[in-house]
Amino acid sequence: MNKPEGAALYESAEKIYPREMSGRFDRLSRVATITLLGLFYVVPWLTWDDRQAVLFDLPARKFYIFGLTLWPQDFPYLALLLMILAYSLFFFTAIGGRLWCGFACPQTVWTEIFIWMEQWTEGTRSQRMKLDKAPWSWNKFRRKFAKQFLWITFAMWTGFTFVGYFQPIRELASDIAALDVGGWTLFWGLFYGFATYGNAGYMREQVCKYMCPYARFQSAMFDKDTLIISYDEERGEPRGSRKRTDDPKEKGLGDCIDCQMCVQVCPTGIDIRKGLQYECIACAACIDACDSVMDRMSYPRGLIRYTTENALHHQKSRLLRPRVLVYATLLLVLVGILVTSMSMRTPVILDIIRDRNSLYRELPNDLVENIYTLKIINQSDHARQFDLGVSGIEGIILDGVPDPFEVAGGEVESLPVRVRVRRDNAYGIHDIEFTITAADDPSVTLAEDSRFLGPSP
Amino acid sequence: MIDEEYRGARQWSRNKQAAFAVGWISFLVAAIGTMVFFALFDPVDLTGIFDDDLDIGRDAGYAAGFFFFWALCALCSGVTAYLVRTAPRRDARHRQR
Repeated sequence: MNKPEGAALYESAEKIYPREMSGRFDRLSRVATITLLGLFYVVPWLTWDDRQAVLFDLPARKFYIFGLTLWPQDFPYLALLLMILAYSLFFFTAIGGRLWCGFACPQTVWTEIFIWMEQWTEGTRSQRMKLDKAPWSWNKFRRKFAKQFLWITFAMWTGFTFVGYFQPIRELASDIAALDVGGWTLFWGLFYGFATYGNAGYMREQVCKYMCPYARFQSAMFDKDTLIISYDEERGEPRGSRKRTDDPKEKGLGDCIDCQMCVQVCPTGIDIRKGLQYECIACAACIDACDSVMDRMSYPRGLIRYTTENALHHQKSRLLRPRVLVYATLLLVLVGILVTSMSMRTPVILDIIRDRNSLYRELPNDLVENIYTLKIINQSDHARQFDLGVSGIEGIILDGVPDPFEVAGGEVESLPVRVRVRRDNAYGIHDIEFTITAADDPSVTLAEDSRFLGPSP
Repeated sequence: MIDEEYRGARQWSRNKQAAFAVGWISFLVAAIGTMVFFALFDPVDLTGIFDDDLDIGRDAGYAAGFFFFWALCALCSGVTAYLVRTAPRRDARHRQR
């Protein structure tokens, strides 16, 4: 068997033309799209203390998030934050199903905007289908050109905004205006812009179907009480077309009039009536579609609705269940750790490096000396005076350190330090402790351990 | 009212699925790897290791690191996907006997 086994499964690509649909969930998704994308495009322009409020300054290796400045040493916070995001996703998935996919995922949100632009330029679903089939004409060219123009402009703006999170966006804007953009800046801007264009313009639901790992394993977080979007088979079947005036009971029909609206609005091109499928991103477009049809037929709404597997089988749904409680507990613990560690974070870092060239030095006046290099990182934004102290051996003293000494805001200071102990107290190996305290704020204090070596007794 | 135009969702060939899955997942993992790696090491400190005369800035260092991780991850998951895809199927062997 040389041919890949899946070759037979291959079908010619059918483009999906999602039908436009208004309704409750469409409004919700519009609000979500505008809010989330609005945040993405606006946040880099915000200012905080005369600098960009949110800036991941990679060249300087510092992250600014409003009042907070994070250093590479703060990496554990980022790891914690990512874990919190993951558990939030698990938690909300267990309760509400694929809320993330339907309303918050960047793929969904950008696709939504790109579909709006497609609708503005190429019209409704049926107009778009007709246009694609039609031979090239001035009208077709004009509409396609307008769409591409909007898409590409928007994608470039997106790439530019993305880069604006990593370098000051105002400077970047003036650089672009002056056509003087650095190579890497241009590369990443185009890279992100092109990815947006391809993903939101062309790949769309294929990303969810074939590339998204979450879409494949989200079912592991599901149980029978998780909210899903489902067709009420019991109520809908047997489906069939009928006149508005017909009594379905007389004709032996269920409530589904088989109008295919739920299929036409689906951005992933599935038929929700076939049951829960992993392609379903829970965007709820089919609920809006079906509700509007039910309204027209004067049937009660909710033939397709948010429900749970238990509810569909006439059993009680529970919100609090072991799975939800476990996710919630883990989430609370992680948030607790993050909040406490952030609030206990001292904006100063002290690294101690012992001089490797000599273990110790004996001085003429009965003293033993060890040499260290201290690296002091002042993580605050302003210059600060620090007092340095050392303890651990009787009569231990520091030499050659100005007291207090100053470290500029956001800078690293290397300080060579001589530590001296009287010979009688210096024999052997001793644990000592350096302490550093901000002169202006005694609560900013940090202690680090090191060793003091003396001659053998 | 049934829509004659509609013939179900478009599908990708298995090879295309595998290629895009490999590319995308290795991209994500490379992004995580790059973050962790460069939180610990400064690209400016690393350039001296390979070549003393090499003097590239942090921008280029981050980019080189990211593409290195991406290529490495793509190699790993690409070969894995290839082995899984081309492995003889158990039921097929049974049928042959």
